[in-house]
Amino acid sequence: MTLEVLTYPFLFLAVFFEVFLLVTFLSAPAKERRDQKLSTKTPSVAVIVPCWNEENTIKGTVDSLLALEYPKDKLSIVLVDDGSTDGTAKVMDTFIGNPQITVIHKKNGGKHSAVNLGIEKSPQAEFVGCLDADSFVAPDALREIIGYFDNPKVGAVTAAMSVHEPKLWIEKMQHADYIHGITLRHVISSLNGLYVTPGPFSFYRRDMILSVGGFQTGHNTEDLEMALRMQRAGFLIENAPRARVYTKTPKTVRALVKQRTRWTTGFLRNVIYDYRDMIGNPEYGTLGLIMLPLGLLANVSGILMFIVIIVQFVQSVINRYTLTRGVPLSYVFRVHLSLFNWFYIPLTGVLLLSLITIIGGVTVMLLGKHISKTPGNLFVGIITYVFLYGFIAPFWLMRSMYDLITGTKRAWR
Amino acid sequence: MSILTRNIIISLGITILLIGTVVYAINYLNQKRVAELNTIEDQLSTDTLSVETQYALLENAPCEDFTNGSSTEDTQLSQEVSNIGDKLSYTEDKLGSNDPQVIQLKDQYTLLEIRDYLLTEQLSKTCNLNPTIVLYFYTNNGSCQGECNQAGYDLSYLRQTYPSLRVYSFDYNLDLGALKTLESIEKIQPTFPAFVINHKQYYGYTSLSDFEKEFPPALFATSTSATSTASATKSTK
Repeated sequence: MTLEVLTYPFLFLAVFFEVFLLVTFLSAPAKERRDQKLSTKTPSVAVIVPCWNEENTIKGTVDSLLALEYPKDKLSIVLVDDGSTDGTAKVMDTFIGNPQITVIHKKNGGKHSAVNLGIEKSPQAEFVGCLDADSFVAPDALREIIGYFDNPKVGAVTAAMSVHEPKLWIEKMQHADYIHGITLRHVISSLNGLYVTPGPFSFYRRDMILSVGGFQTGHNTEDLEMALRMQRAGFLIENAPRARVYTKTPKTVRALVKQRTRWTTGFLRNVIYDYRDMIGNPEYGTLGLIMLPLGLLANVSGILMFIVIIVQFVQSVINRYTLTRGVPLSYVFRVHLSLFNWFYIPLTGVLLLSLITIIGGVTVMLLGKHISKTPGNLFVGIITYVFLYGFIAPFWLMRSMYDLITGTKRAWR
Repeated sequence: MSILTRNIIISLGITILLIGTVVYAINYLNQKRVAELNTIEDQLSTDTLSVETQYALLENAPCEDFTNGSSTEDTQLSQEVSNIGDKLSYTEDKLGSNDPQVIQLKDQYTLLEIRDYLLTEQLSKTCNLNPTIVLYFYTNNGSCQGECNQAGYDLSYLRQTYPSLRVYSFDYNLDLGALKTLESIEKIQPTFPAFVINHKQYYGYTSLSDFEKEFPPALFATSTSATSTASATKSTK
């Protein structure tokens, strides 16, 4: 048995999941959501902006909130400085005096404490939203979101995230990943399967948050923990695929691995320690039967596939070296005509199934860009995603697995 | 039936269909490879008969006429034998050495090689030529994987670098009467890799430089000869 055989079950699941996304995309619930019109209702809302050392981006974030197409008397903005040590407090204070904005300074207590304080200070709001201080919203984003709360069972609505002005290859790669996520959230929300309400512009029914006890640390992923807790309490999470929000993302591989390690470890700890009862539980529908089990399996498969590729590559290099060491390099590296002969096309199951998964993934990305009307070119993002993402992701997956097993705690940044 | 259940069933159906298509595509390509090999081998059989006939016709002709007149065709034939060897080795790698079609093709290929070897021997005697001929015996039973792989690769290099070298590769364990007779005539012991270099046995493989010492120096001196004949080899698995 070759090592390759181990990858087949995971490739099967990968193909199945991409197909499932596309099939569900064409289903009635997803279509209905895409056809949803902009809401004309304007209930009172508050947007909480928890900040910790965001002096460079906080002004842009607030400016984008002030530009929202929403009645000013119905939209309040609460800036919560969570004990920043840079110039964030100073930038925030420039907004004091704006009737829409409340500025709060507090000692550092973690993002969840900042959000809870913001919610506490917004008693007039029927709905509260969170916006990370490195994110920027499109003017119609709030009106896209608010209509989904017509269903009283909906406890939260998430937005369509993408990367703010991606310039570096690593930003473009993440942009493609986020765009994939737009379709993913849109499709999965139509079957009530979301397990996270991301920091950039997720909205909540204020009463619901209070009834479930407010935000908690949630293993450094308070948004994921809240999403699971509210669904355990019987609430639904919707997604507004045209509510565009742009966020800053890590600019180095090291920073990306650190960020994603936090996300992944948070997912693993929340699901395995605190919400294990939801895994495979038909009571939670798509979330319990598909998303949580596949989310766990994805971590294992990402690591396994990476190990298989590395082992095979190293074996191949060693074999090649052993085989050719006595022969002149001019012979070893000559171009073999056989490479251009159909007879030698190296078609294998792994190669073809990987290709199908990639085609499915790229289709999902293009759909995400289309339904969200996100501007910009995806070409470089898709190329870097296809060729590099799979080699970087295993590092945060392995690190997360290590942290989970050893109980290692890491700082937020 | 809920939409979730319906979508799971549809997605499973499509996934199985896709995987079935992948399996079919790989199988189809393998069958095409086997068909290609069959076609080439049929052509080679005709070519070989043609060459045998040429030999017979030119039996009484001066050797210069024979070598000058047929060297190109002979080179092409030998090159084809070599190409089919490469393709057969690749197919064997894909389908496995126990595949009945692979075994049948290897039988045919081995017969072609033996026939080409006999013709070369006959030509050498008739015309007093001294080509360097290597009979290479390998096994796929795992006892000589590394050594046989290296020997096969190095022989390919030598064959392409020194066109006057003729290499014939045989799977020692192939159940073929003609091959067993050849092994018996050449007194090949089941120690692999095994070589017969100009009728002298040589066992085991360490390195290319050591291996080259077993060849007549004349081979390396005439390596650039334009009139040399090509040879056939087959990379081992």
